[in-house]
Amino acid sequence: MKVREILGTLAALAVLGVWSSPSYAIPAFARQTGQNCLACHAGGQFPELTPYGRLFKLTGYTMGSRTIPLSGMAVIDYTDVRNTKDSLGVKDTGTFPKQKQALFDFGSIFLAGKITDNLGLFAQATYAHYDHQKEDTGEWVGHMSPDNTELRYADRFISPDRDLIIGAFANNNPSMQDVWNSTPAWGYPYVEPAFVLGAAGPMLDLAQNSVGAGVYAYWNQSLYGEFSLYRTANGPYSFLHPGDNSGIARIKDGAPYWRLAYTRAFGAHNLMVGTSGMVAKIHEGSDTAVSDNSLPTDRYRDIGVDAQYQYLLDPHTVTAHISYLHENVKWGDQAAVGADNASDTVKQLKIKGAYVYQAKYGASLSYNQISGSTDAGLYATPDLLAGDPEEVAGNLSGSPNATYWIPEVFWTPVQYLRVGAQYWHYTKFNGAGSNYNGFGRSASANDTLFVYVWGAY
Amino acid sequence: MKRTVCTILAIAIASLGSGCVNLERSRDLGNPNVSGRTLALQVCSSCHGVDGNSTSPGFPKLAGQQQDYLIAQLKFFRDHNRSDPAGSEYMWGISRKLTDEQIKGLATYFSQQKDAPNVAGDRATAAAGKAIFENGIPDKGVAACAGCHGASGLGNGTFPRLAGQHADYMIKQLHVLSETNQRPAGAMMKPLVHGLTSSDLRAVTTYLQGISPT
Repeated sequence: MKVREILGTLAALAVLGVWSSPSYAIPAFARQTGQNCLACHAGGQFPELTPYGRLFKLTGYTMGSRTIPLSGMAVIDYTDVRNTKDSLGVKDTGTFPKQKQALFDFGSIFLAGKITDNLGLFAQATYAHYDHQKEDTGEWVGHMSPDNTELRYADRFISPDRDLIIGAFANNNPSMQDVWNSTPAWGYPYVEPAFVLGAAGPMLDLAQNSVGAGVYAYWNQSLYGEFSLYRTANGPYSFLHPGDNSGIARIKDGAPYWRLAYTRAFGAHNLMVGTSGMVAKIHEGSDTAVSDNSLPTDRYRDIGVDAQYQYLLDPHTVTAHISYLHENVKWGDQAAVGADNASDTVKQLKIKGAYVYQAKYGASLSYNQISGSTDAGLYATPDLLAGDPEEVAGNLSGSPNATYWIPEVFWTPVQYLRVGAQYWHYTKFNGAGSNYNGFGRSASANDTLFVYVWGAY
Repeated sequence: MKRTVCTILAIAIASLGSGCVNLERSRDLGNPNVSGRTLALQVCSSCHGVDGNSTSPGFPKLAGQQQDYLIAQLKFFRDHNRSDPAGSEYMWGISRKLTDEQIKGLATYFSQQKDAPNVAGDRATAAAGKAIFENGIPDKGVAACAGCHGASGLGNGTFPRLAGQHADYMIKQLHVLSETNQRPAGAMMKPLVHGLTSSDLRAVTTYLQGISPT
């Protein structure tokens, strides 16, 4: 299979949500501390952490007393894409299956909590009810897969004069260790539609593809630093990766990930500004063949800056996040990848603000912008014909650019349940606002209403 | 890389095997052998500040608070005799397994901390609040707060210190005391607070928040 075909397959899988990894915090932690979810989650808006929630995580999930470390959650949702028809007026049920139906989408079980005074665990497995389709019949098949998993060791040296938290972690998703909800693993949207056509984004995605270990320190609740290394989640670590190893990102050596942040609290306000980044060399091709290790590597360099603001004073919760990620990919074998450029860039800007009243009634607005180098070889679909299965996903310009807004309202009647509605509105998709696919489809045709009921216990 | 992962796993296994108790730096709220002081530093400090001077007005300052008041409140939380939302949502769980000895240790630690200056509010508002605090509002049946809480607001026994406390926290509690029965031990406050308007509450708490530490 050519590298380009693999990339295409992976993109298609991503679009279908097969690799979406919804991961949230859990009532097992609430039972461990005996506290309400809103002690750790801003306005009860899981998974966004409060300052206390951040310290709970940074001290290794060890506050409280040991309890039964099990939790479960389930999401029922409803997806309605504005225009599911191709240019011939035929419904594209391949790209947009399961429309306008309330579905049990996915559920997770968690094994999580305090193990010792210094050691804690967060392990999640997720059952996707519509994981993939049978090749012969097209019937949907559910599947249970490993999801975000982390083992964390922490110690806290604290006195009235100083406060130093140090720790180490091992997990299977770079940035899972983060506590500010402005990096990929825990960033917005916290739940999203699966049966839609998603916009392009950064190309480096090692969630559940990698396993890594790192160390961190947090000084006087002011300066935070972290460094970790990731490798491919294969061999003895295969249990942390869904399915077999076909298509797994095969990382050369260790891929470093770093994080620096400055935090400050004043009154009911909390502020964080930070940066994070990762450099990974990934072999082209999958690792199903032994010879893949000899294939050239593509060098991914992702560098981000981000900030978070929180105002938490009952009955008001205001949170804001902004993140900017610059990704540069230098192709090892440009011809094999099929790229026109020797290297490509993708820039992602995400801004999100939320308000929650009484930890029950919430609204948020998110703005997302993807801009990247135009690379017809990588993105364009020049040979499409009207009515082709890929027509609605076509890309005329060879640009990954996209702009979209997500307004959301939600209601948390009890702390274990959230009901919400999002409306994804695209003003630019595959590089254009209108006729992005060469068959007259506009970006806003992909607008999506997404309603969910999310329960956890 | 592999070595790093193995090292972490080795630490984890070693921790499990060694009984995993670290009494000096434990965050275990279910172990009666962990001292109140340790819990104050390792757990309570996360919201109330390492020296009891919380930054957020959502959480009360505990520095220099009356020891008897702290002991009483922690027992109320533990025994579910105080059920205002913040109390039940945050403190019931934290206190559920505390022993009397640990509660005494926690109270001792925070009562001995030095109160740090809080933000001084508007002068005119504070002056109006000072008048209410010292003299009450006789026409409305509001007694002078200073009668129980002390001339300088430092409290006395189970009457809490108010000097330097966050105004937003006090306003919230005054509403709880006047409008609910969630703090039975504070029932005596109900008729006293009833006569205060919103601006009176703001004034008296502004004054109290701005009282400099002594």
